[in-house]
Amino acid sequence: MVELTEANLVRRARSGELEAMRDLYELHASRVYTVVRRLAGDDDLAADLAQDAWANAFQKIKDFRGDAAFGTWIHRIAVNTALTRLRQSSRRRDLEQSFDGSSTLGNPDRWPVTAAAERVTVQRALDMLPEGYRSVLWMHDVEGYTHEEIGARLGIAVGTSKSQLSKARARLRALVVGAKAEVVDHGTS
Amino acid sequence: MVHLKEETLSELLDGVPVAGAEEHLTSCPTCQGELELLRRLRAELRELPELQPPADLWSRIEPTLPGARQSRRLRLGWPTLVLMQVAAAIAIFVIGLSVGRSSQPVEEQPDALPVAAAVQPVAATVTDAMAEVQRLGSEYDAALANLQRLAQRSGRPAPSLTEQRLASLDMLVEASRTALSVEPADPVLNSYLFAALEERDAMLREMSESQGTGPEVLWR
Repeated sequence: MVELTEANLVRRARSGELEAMRDLYELHASRVYTVVRRLAGDDDLAADLAQDAWANAFQKIKDFRGDAAFGTWIHRIAVNTALTRLRQSSRRRDLEQSFDGSSTLGNPDRWPVTAAAERVTVQRALDMLPEGYRSVLWMHDVEGYTHEEIGARLGIAVGTSKSQLSKARARLRALVVGAKAEVVDHGTS
Repeated sequence: MVHLKEETLSELLDGVPVAGAEEHLTSCPTCQGELELLRRLRAELRELPELQPPADLWSRIEPTLPGARQSRRLRLGWPTLVLMQVAAAIAIFVIGLSVGRSSQPVEEQPDALPVAAAVQPVAATVTDAMAEVQRLGSEYDAALANLQRLAQRSGRPAPSLTEQRLASLDMLVEASRTALSVEPADPVLNSYLFAALEERDAMLREMSESQGTGPEVLWR
């Protein structure tokens, strides 16, 4: 059975068997890499984050009690590793960049040139989002974190998380639909 | 018509009730379309395919793991393992060989050479090294038999243990160097060589200090 096999691998990894660690890595490498890649928006950074996540996980695998599946555990570590790095980088860079307080839907002139010039896929559009937007959007819409959890992990207010999310969705929509798409006047609610 | 703000659309997407928004939606196809588009994009985000990590990622992770150094030793390629075994085997055999040879009375072997000079582990390949081990093994067996015979005949004291060990260390140094000529960057073989050299130097110093005093210098 898969569960028994994985439990056995975890037990062997906890005792320091490198082969078992390698097998666990093979089982979950894609999942871990995918989540850090989505959050990072960049291949090189994603590789660094995945490396850190796995190193962190195996260094504290003795703390893994098996209350959750190993895949869930390593996924959580990957997310935390990525968010910690992004949070550190956000101290050096304004998360909101030039998008604070303004509607991207109603202000196509504020969209970057790349967005105005082409229509892109969802995957590429996600990569093109500012780091703060991408993090909140992925955490909320895909990972299922609440705004409170996102705020705590990114070190931002709940209101900021909500604001980032709405802007991120609007920006994603703009990127995917393209600059020539219909621009709707979003005046008041 | 004034349409819904992006913040409002976002809240509606999350199922948060917004006063007046529901009524607007029922009468505004544009905002209905915007909300549906956001809903579709969210679904597409969730359906994005898994990605494969870089092929070399594990090789970057492995050195950072606990136990990686030990595993590195265990997973050495076979030439290194064989050479390490050869080095160890030579050292073991030479201990016995030196015992046998040093035990022989000088008058019975006038052309006898010092042990380290008589045995030359200069094999350049694994095959040669293994042949050297077999040859040394045969000599070792013969030397042991000779030692037994001599001990029974003359009752002479055994040769200096320090001398035997020094000779074996010389052999270990040579064997390590031979192995390193094949894999010069191997950390384990290098550690063997450095350890043997260090031990040999320490033994020489002890021998020098103990000259004339007579006590046996033991392996540390």
